[in-house]
Amino acid sequence: MEVTYKVHRKDPENGGESGYSTYQVDLPEDATVLDGLQKIRDEQDDTLAFRASCCQGFCGECSVRINYSAKLTCTTKISAVTKKGPEILCDPVRNIPVVKDLVFDMDAFLWNKIAAMKPWMEPEEEFAPTENVVPESDMAEVRRTMSCYQCGLCDEGCAVLPVDFDFLGPAALVKGYRFVMDPRESGARQEARMKVVEQPKGLWDCTHCYEANGKCPRGLAPSNKIMEVRDVAFKSGITHEKVARHHASFIRSVKHTGWLDERKLAMETEGMTNVAGLMKLLPTAVRALRRGKMPGRHEKRPGAEQVRRIIEKAEESK
Amino acid sequence: MKYAFYPGCVAKGGCPELYTAAVKVAEKLDLELEEMTDVACTGAGCMPTHLSDPLNARTFAKAEQMGLPIMTICSTCQGVFSQANHRLQNDAEYRERINREYLAEEGLSYQGTTEVKHLLWVLFEDYGMEKLKPLIQRPLAGLKVSPFYGCFLRRPGNIMVPNSDVAGRRGYLEDLIGALGAENVNISGKTKCCGFPILTANEEGSLGMVAKHAGESRQNGADCMVTPCPLCHLNLDGNQPRAEARKGQKIDLPIVHLPQLLGLALGFDTDEMQLGRHIVSTKAVNDKVDMLT
Repeated sequence: MEVTYKVHRKDPENGGESGYSTYQVDLPEDATVLDGLQKIRDEQDDTLAFRASCCQGFCGECSVRINYSAKLTCTTKISAVTKKGPEILCDPVRNIPVVKDLVFDMDAFLWNKIAAMKPWMEPEEEFAPTENVVPESDMAEVRRTMSCYQCGLCDEGCAVLPVDFDFLGPAALVKGYRFVMDPRESGARQEARMKVVEQPKGLWDCTHCYEANGKCPRGLAPSNKIMEVRDVAFKSGITHEKVARHHASFIRSVKHTGWLDERKLAMETEGMTNVAGLMKLLPTAVRALRRGKMPGRHEKRPGAEQVRRIIEKAEESK
Repeated sequence: MKYAFYPGCVAKGGCPELYTAAVKVAEKLDLELEEMTDVACTGAGCMPTHLSDPLNARTFAKAEQMGLPIMTICSTCQGVFSQANHRLQNDAEYRERINREYLAEEGLSYQGTTEVKHLLWVLFEDYGMEKLKPLIQRPLAGLKVSPFYGCFLRRPGNIMVPNSDVAGRRGYLEDLIGALGAENVNISGKTKCCGFPILTANEEGSLGMVAKHAGESRQNGADCMVTPCPLCHLNLDGNQPRAEARKGQKIDLPIVHLPQLLGLALGFDTDEMQLGRHIVSTKAVNDKVDMLT
């Protein structure tokens, strides 16, 4: 079938301006988007740059935005993306420095962030004299998570990265999950691991918007993984100070009254002795007061005693 | 139509105008609401699941006892409820453990039958546009409105839009804007995060999202933005002045709650819908609506 590829071009090293090149390609019905890009490079334009390696969907190297949606070119059939018309628009994945055409800076995008997770097991000071046997049930999900081939499509759809590129992103946090949940790291080593995962721009900078779940071609549900690591942090003690104050205040408020005291939450999150932080809240508080939006007296709800009982029991059960 | 009404903490706290508007609109539509006053906060994604699931199971058990579905007016409450209900309904063993360990002492038990629906879903799935349209006394002709779903009413997709019968949930907000006679002004981030959940850890990033969404809506010519989530409202409206200051750009985009927009079309005036309680002045909206009456 005859399709039109419209491919984003950019050659920053040679001062090239951004633009699009258009190619007509004749491809078999069952061809992939990658087949077309390779045919263009082989037959029409050998200056076209794109990434690909395994060509069969397990290396995660060939992420490209195809018709405004990021996908792996090697597993995307042209028939699936030409239903509305014979044009295939190829752009580099978003929010990342482009090296050339569809090739983006993998270090900035992914590798530096994954390295920040210290993706290796820290050895114990003293090795056990025997094999370290772990139950299959403890390893099953960890092993499944290892099947992440780091294509970065979860990062590409992330809501935070467009406003803060320093956020470590779901791909790196899933790597964090893989080590947090590994039963071979425990005790002091797991405490150290949580500090790594909870570092600034890490675990707590995720908005839990669940975008990443819909993007992962491996079906690993990265957002769920991030929330599970948060649940571990709740149980082991949150090490990010401001976030710890925020969550402690939230839970305390619900425990005592059955519902959230927003006014107290804002102040206690800053810290009751943090004068600069509290002063920062003042303009917002004044605006809210003027508009009649300042929450009134926070009354205890009926049923609050039951709520408190449940929370206390659940806290003990951790 | 009768519902166990779960307004959520914010409608009773930082966004009292949402509660007022929702109650007035429900009365006009003949939606009978029995407010749940003795139940806990959902946890809003701020409490770990081992604390929030038992609390939410208690709320579902109470609604089950009332024999009513729950209606929410907050996407965050809806999202947390839907996820908790998904776990409790699909894992009988887990549900029984929670019943045994947490609810039995109070004589409660959740059987997994409670349905939880946001007002936006109720309007389309229970009430119906055919019934709503004749009640519109003031079609909002000429009012340009950007839809803003936020995260929790849309994702995770397998839970919030579980089957093709409710595939329309991906477009209810746009459909409602149209049904009320207003004009849709699209923005690229209408289903993205508003930034509220990271205000604590990454304030700069959070305000960046406010500027991005509200700024794009303003640039595309909207008079206002409508949201079904009061937490989105707190950030997009309440923190818009701070986002403007950080970015050095004036945005000045009114953000209205879903029941307020609906109420204006049903004939309520802007005072009755308490538009004066917003941080960003809604004067541009008020002026247009006043011209329509």
